[in-house]
Amino acid sequence: MPIYNTPLLAIDAKEARRYAGLQKAQDFAEEKILAACQDARLLAQPCSVWEIYDYDCQSQMIQSSPPCKIQGEKIGQHLAGCEKVILLAATVGDDIEEDVTRRFNAGEYSMAVLLDAAATAAVEQVADGLEKALAPKMAAKGFGMKWRFSPGYGDWPLEQQPELIRLSSAASIGVGLSSSMMLVPRKSVTAIIGLYRKQENKEIQHAPKGCAACSQVNCPSRKR
Amino acid sequence: MSRIEIFDGAMGTMLQAGGLQPGACPELMNVENPEVVKNIHRAYIEAGATIIETNTFGASPLKLEHYGLTDRMAELNKAAVTIAKEAAQGRAKVAGSMGPTGRFIEPLGDLSFDDAYTNFFDQATALAEAGADFLIIETCIDLQEMRAALLAAKAACDIPVICQLSYSEDGRTVTGTDPQSAAILLDAMGADIIGVNCSLGPEELVPIVKTLAENCTCPISVLPNAGMPYLKDGQTVFPMGPEDFGKWGVKLLEAGASYLGGCCGTTPEHIRELANAVKDLPLPERRLPAKRLWLTSRSKAVCIDRSLPTRLIGERINPTGRKKLAAEIKEGSLLGVKKEAVNQVKAGAHLLDVNMGVGGIDQAAAMKRAVTEISQLTDAPLSIDTSDAKALEAGLKAYPGRALINSVSYEPERIAEFLPLAKKYGAAILCLPITPDGVPKTAEERIAVMHKIIAAAKEQGLDDGDFLLDALVMTVSADKNACYEVLITLQMYRERFGYPTTMGLSNISFGLPNRPLINSTFFAMCLAAGLDAPIMNPYDEAMQRALMASAALLGDDPNGLAYSKNEANLAVPKAAATAKVTELSPLEAIKQAVIDGEKDEIPSLVENALKSGLEANTITEQALTAAMTDIGVDFGAGRMFLPQVLLSAETMRSAFNKLKELTPANAAAPNQGTVVIATVKGDVHDLGKNITGALLANSGFKLIDLGKDVDSTEIVKAAIENNADIVGLCALMTTTMVQIDKVIADLKEAGCDAKVMVGGAAVTQDYADSAGADAYAPDGVKAVELAKELVKK
Repeated sequence: MPIYNTPLLAIDAKEARRYAGLQKAQDFAEEKILAACQDARLLAQPCSVWEIYDYDCQSQMIQSSPPCKIQGEKIGQHLAGCEKVILLAATVGDDIEEDVTRRFNAGEYSMAVLLDAAATAAVEQVADGLEKALAPKMAAKGFGMKWRFSPGYGDWPLEQQPELIRLSSAASIGVGLSSSMMLVPRKSVTAIIGLYRKQENKEIQHAPKGCAACSQVNCPSRKR
Repeated sequence: MSRIEIFDGAMGTMLQAGGLQPGACPELMNVENPEVVKNIHRAYIEAGATIIETNTFGASPLKLEHYGLTDRMAELNKAAVTIAKEAAQGRAKVAGSMGPTGRFIEPLGDLSFDDAYTNFFDQATALAEAGADFLIIETCIDLQEMRAALLAAKAACDIPVICQLSYSEDGRTVTGTDPQSAAILLDAMGADIIGVNCSLGPEELVPIVKTLAENCTCPISVLPNAGMPYLKDGQTVFPMGPEDFGKWGVKLLEAGASYLGGCCGTTPEHIRELANAVKDLPLPERRLPAKRLWLTSRSKAVCIDRSLPTRLIGERINPTGRKKLAAEIKEGSLLGVKKEAVNQVKAGAHLLDVNMGVGGIDQAAAMKRAVTEISQLTDAPLSIDTSDAKALEAGLKAYPGRALINSVSYEPERIAEFLPLAKKYGAAILCLPITPDGVPKTAEERIAVMHKIIAAAKEQGLDDGDFLLDALVMTVSADKNACYEVLITLQMYRERFGYPTTMGLSNISFGLPNRPLINSTFFAMCLAAGLDAPIMNPYDEAMQRALMASAALLGDDPNGLAYSKNEANLAVPKAAATAKVTELSPLEAIKQAVIDGEKDEIPSLVENALKSGLEANTITEQALTAAMTDIGVDFGAGRMFLPQVLLSAETMRSAFNKLKELTPANAAAPNQGTVVIATVKGDVHDLGKNITGALLANSGFKLIDLGKDVDSTEIVKAAIENNADIVGLCALMTTTMVQIDKVIADLKEAGCDAKVMVGGAAVTQDYADSAGADAYAPDGVKAVELAKELVKK
């Protein structure tokens, strides 16, 4: 149950802009987005946790105790050829979410939306930070890492969230689930990363990543 | 650094070849199969290694916990040294290997600094007691862990300590440390050899070795991998063969390393080639860096020097005279402190002074927390400002960098307590010429005290490059010579010591009118006299402008380019202040302000419109409502986006409030109808619902927002009690969408005839139809449009 808390020395303003649905808005003041990113940094409590398991890609079974079968064809394809998997959970905590609500109630609608977007960018950065921390360790053992994949992407059902919470030890960083399989705190992620043996001169196939794996094609945050 | 030393190569793969089973503890071989280990050592010595590493990389108490072997820690380490010495028989020296704990130290992880320290202290003690010639702390990816290990190693024994971090392809450790910051800090903390091993091959390590060598005076070690491993015909292979590996030895030597060896994937053959490649070469002459004052955070190094631009030390993390900040700190909240840290850096501070001087609190605990939190938020190096030695040590221990100690005066307890802490933690000191007898008034007296402080510091082992001299600013209204003496002091500091200078500026103007004028004039004079790093309020525009003007005048800003650019920017009025209002009629101006989201401008526009004789209703209909209609069109056409629409809604709200205030009789907000809105049971995502609610409320609807995760019964009850015209339901996820069906059925059953409008990320028109909703709103703007239509039906 190793914990890693990525420092948020900056929040990617471009990503925050995208999550706020402002990708195409040329004239929206950058200062407002930067201010939201700054407030998000002050309120965020970044934290992530991970566990590594052996994985049988034929049966899509994670060799945990008890074992867990990964459901879904696309996630199965994505993890094809992987010997191990990392299960991770990341969060930026509750405070930031409370502040979004507070701002809405105070009539600061746009700032609330921007702060929410900055929080989304922040939690992604926390998960990215964990991946970055793990990559050299895995590479030294001869493993490459697949993209991070979360329940809800492609055909991986949200109903597997309880298993991800268990396998990643998410509870140790205060991440849990609501009765309808939603992560609490809201600005949290759970994900799986497949580990494959790097082969000589051979690039591995990855499943579509992020927005490309999502069916919400009209989403205002969808990457162009 | 008299000769080239050759380290051995990989141990793990050799142990596996010697029979180590997968999953078994490699260090157990030291007692169960010592001959295998000894043979590996022999092979490396025969290949040319002059230093061999003990098989103890994972033999610290925390690492051995994985195998339930913690209680055998001393035995395994001591056995390893014995085996290595037997194998060496005087032909090679023995370095006791200490690897990382595998956990991150707080706040990056959950391991306490003290536990990490104890872990390394115990292992270092065992290795040294068994007779190791060196300790080597290797493959660390976090500077804070390296600090704990180095402090522990130095406390445990007197043998030389080698500190090797591992860097990723971006040239930084996993936790963000660059080789320059690492070299500066580890050198100051007393590492005997600084180096790098693992993670990368020799080619990638050449620039890292070069940076290390340029930033410290101690010898440099480098133990690269034989490239990165991959699978070939079912076998793990490292791509770089011995011959290529050996050739890189020469480049690494030229880059500044004099201790060379190998890490993962290297074999005795690799070491043989390496040793052969460099054996007849002289040690290249290394250009050692001048001793200058460098401070670092975890990921950034900052130099204060007369040859460099002025560095600003932000003074605002200080509760003295700031009631709100003091109260927050007392209550245990650090939000204000964090805000000041981030804002000061944004305003141009290069370093941050941290003072937690609030009465009645545990200062050491507060300093530890503040330093910990700030170092997660900004990369500006810190100055720890306290008179309490315990608070100072707590701050220094928590800080993953080379801090400045503010301040060391010539008072017995400061000399006795602060200087050893500075040496131990590798901190620089801000020297303050105060004695138990008080403040020396003249420059000459200050110089005399400064000599004493520096002599005492040098006795403790501090050296050039560790000192920042404070010129000591007194109040000119109390002493007419205060300014003059400071200017002379600054000049004499440069002449007599050559160390960089600092001071807090604002003392000078106490009791005088127009303090900003005195402060900025004084600042300019001090810069001319040799001030290098003022402690000041970085938000003070007069001071920032004085700094820029001084830089231009003193030639630090050639031809005044930066100064000109800054002044030109300040001279241009802000875009928002352009006089568009004058060209538009009052109604047009209000409409445009709503569209542009000019929340702060709108109250005065509304006031002017009323003064010009316009009716409140006219303003509402022809300016405000008309603006929202245009916004709706622009949004639908993809010319405007949600945060912009929300800014307009905020502006509307502000306009309505002003109308209500000025014409209470007329300006009852138009009532389009009542909407009960909720995010359904099980769903906690209410941003979309909040957005829709905000837009409805500012479009003349009476809004009853029930919040998120709302049970069907509650929604039905609210709809009936309030005689709602519309019930708005939101669900984000497929898992919660089904609740919409339930609410609609319950509303019907209860005989509620309110129209139902639904929305949310996963909800579609088809779904809305099948659930029996009256309308589907894909976004908040559309929801307002639909709501208006629904109430007409």
